[in-house]
Amino acid sequence: MTHTMETPPAGELDLAKLSLEQLLICHECDLLMAKPHLQDGEKAECPRCGYEVDRHQPHMVQRSLALVLAALIFYLPANFMPIMSLGLLGQKNDDTIWSAVKALYLSDMAVIALIVFLSSMLIPLIKLLTQLWVLLILQLNGSARFGLWLYRTYHHMREWGMLEVYMFGVLVSIVKMIDLGDLSLGLGLACFVGLLVSQIWLEATMNDHQVWEMLEEQRNRQAVDEVIDEACA
Amino acid sequence: MKRALDAGFILCMECHAVNRMDPTQSEAGQTCVRCHAAVYPRSPNSLMRTWALLLTAAMLFIPANMLPIMVVSSFGKDSGDTILSGVIALIHYDMVPIALVVFIASILVPTFKLVGMGLLLYSIQRHQPLSARQRGYMFRFIEWIGRWSMLDIFVIAILVSLVSFGSIAQITAGPGAIAFALVVITTMLAATTFDPRLIWDNTESEEDHD
Repeated sequence: MTHTMETPPAGELDLAKLSLEQLLICHECDLLMAKPHLQDGEKAECPRCGYEVDRHQPHMVQRSLALVLAALIFYLPANFMPIMSLGLLGQKNDDTIWSAVKALYLSDMAVIALIVFLSSMLIPLIKLLTQLWVLLILQLNGSARFGLWLYRTYHHMREWGMLEVYMFGVLVSIVKMIDLGDLSLGLGLACFVGLLVSQIWLEATMNDHQVWEMLEEQRNRQAVDEVIDEACA
Repeated sequence: MKRALDAGFILCMECHAVNRMDPTQSEAGQTCVRCHAAVYPRSPNSLMRTWALLLTAAMLFIPANMLPIMVVSSFGKDSGDTILSGVIALIHYDMVPIALVVFIASILVPTFKLVGMGLLLYSIQRHQPLSARQRGYMFRFIEWIGRWSMLDIFVIAILVSLVSFGSIAQITAGPGAIAFALVVITTMLAATTFDPRLIWDNTESEEDHD
């Protein structure tokens, strides 16, 4: 259950007495606030512009791990099994996500082929793999310094993966082609829907505010451990 | 209401960590205490970069609409479709809902993005007393909707691979598609180079902005 709380602005607070961890700045409007203490399932919104500034989700890492694995299982069949087939005068053509890229490339549209390849195949895959890696680092106490770098990389790619737009493209194509020939839908489409649903669910579950904080805490812990190890050696 | 900037704090735009402003190197940019990204009080040259990308997109928008984005060849006859003629053809085939979707994604959204971002930049540079909250919503909407214009490109990709029956029927992508894909990419880049914090600067005098 999510319930929204208004965050008190830091107007009257003595900012000099607060440490960095007790402060919060709105990403959208640069308003400075005192960081609220959130319970599981609560979220905080900026009192000035309404942007979500913090959220706390229970069992975030385990749930996200389950979803990222589900998405990765769907990835290969979704990309290489037929989304649909069109029959015309005894000939039959299969369309997969990969065959669309290949067909564009072979018809001298390499630029478009590259754009479609990146936004519908490569970037969604790299996004899932970086998410998996970051979650494993959190779960198994891996190098948090590398985790922070990975999660930054993930954020640079975030909006360039366009699976949900592709899904709409599939729907429009179905409607356009349905009267033209003998159109049949393939197993690839079901896997693509599976990939899309688990990916959207994953992005809603894997909460940025929490991931960044956990990575930072883990890095600080590991840094202390290193100092102790060196002192003992 | 106090801006973090005035209190001597900077937000990292990548991981949203709070950083204490380092007065010795505020111009050159410091690195985030958490994720080591470069942090600035405001992204350097944000307005200029956004303008440059926006103007590029506006120029590409012309060939994107004039040149055919898709060519249908059947029994030796070629017919090219521009974005608009594609929409009109859909209406003729009684596929009004799909025509509407394509019209919104390929014509309305890019136009709205170009005009909306332009207005946003202009209002910031001229200190126009537009409601900051409204401008904020507008930017968030522009940022969110940008990627949906790629719809037509994906439809073309699917049709090219689906309809390839040699001389009977063949669909290929036209040069307009390249221009259109570049419009989508440059407007998306324009949204990422824009620093949304600029919207809320210079709003101090009118506290009743919402």
